[in-house]
Amino acid sequence: MRLSAAVLLSLLPALVAAPSVDKGKAFGNPSAPITIELFSDFQCPSCRALHMGLLPALIRDYVVPGKAYLVYKEYPLPGHSHSREAAAYACAAARVGKYEQVADVLFQNQPSWSADGKVFETVAAALTPAEQKKVQLLAKDPGVLSEVDQDVQEGQSERVNATPTMIIVRGAKKYPIAGDLNYNLLRGFLDGLTK
Amino acid sequence: MDLQSKPDLLSNLARIGLVILRLGLAAVLGYAAWIKLREPWMLFAMSVDAYHVLPEWGSMAVARSLPWIELLLAVLLLTGLWQRVAMPAASVLLAAFFALMVRSYVRGEGIDCGCFGPGEAISPITLLRDGGLLAASLVLTWAAYRRARPKPIAAGSRTSLAVESGL
Repeated sequence: MRLSAAVLLSLLPALVAAPSVDKGKAFGNPSAPITIELFSDFQCPSCRALHMGLLPALIRDYVVPGKAYLVYKEYPLPGHSHSREAAAYACAAARVGKYEQVADVLFQNQPSWSADGKVFETVAAALTPAEQKKVQLLAKDPGVLSEVDQDVQEGQSERVNATPTMIIVRGAKKYPIAGDLNYNLLRGFLDGLTK
Repeated sequence: MDLQSKPDLLSNLARIGLVILRLGLAAVLGYAAWIKLREPWMLFAMSVDAYHVLPEWGSMAVARSLPWIELLLAVLLLTGLWQRVAMPAASVLLAAFFALMVRSYVRGEGIDCGCFGPGEAISPITLLRDGGLLAASLVLTWAAYRRARPKPIAAGSRTSLAVESGL
């Protein structure tokens, strides 16, 4: 009993220090050798390019086979007037298991809602009427809003200074990679890490 | 203090300044090489590729070779060997880095500098730092060639180039 208590106490700092992972925004095998934390902004064109171009291939080649665990992180940039609202809707959608679907419609329709500010109307297209009501309420929930803030704070502590930024974690080592990426080179890098 | 001692003092100070500048530049290049060599080279290849100036194979070739070139230049600057080759080479390298960084910053590409490993976006600070390094390198190049001016040898002997060794 004393021993297990001592073990638990010794593990406590590690448990406290571990970054929080919202299961609704994380995909793949949590015990995969690599974790990819993707900090993005729904209103950023480079994030849209990554989401629609490189990300499906990355999910197919690394997340689905269990080689990588993908964790989405919100990083709404101050210059983008609707991105924080979009991030709140996406986090709310994660709570009803629809993060990916909502992220897809937000990125696909980025030019239109960025111009007219109709964020919820865009999000609604990926949800059932019951989910729409839930998500609309959840998006104003302090817990969801603080989740967005927590992601931003985490990004700041990881010195994220541009979106999209991928932080590739392998054991204790972290590799931040920002901007528009070449998938062949990224694949070479990830394959080198998993060897 | 006699009339001769003041120019001598200034010349010695300039000489010390140039040595400090040379050793500083050697340290920076050595550090940049070490940071790149200790990480997987593909990581640096991605940083090079993000500038969108080279084809994929070019980015890979640069990522493989550049850290070793930086290391070689650092060793040459540190030892003071082949300065009339090492100084212009360092200047050309730093001028290329600076031009690419300015281009990327002006275009608002928001990419990593890649100068000292990943995670450092191009910003006015990185531009100022690399601009300063380029200026230092140009001063050292100028000094390396200035020392190679022909000096008249004592009367009666043949005129030849008297090249000082080291700074």
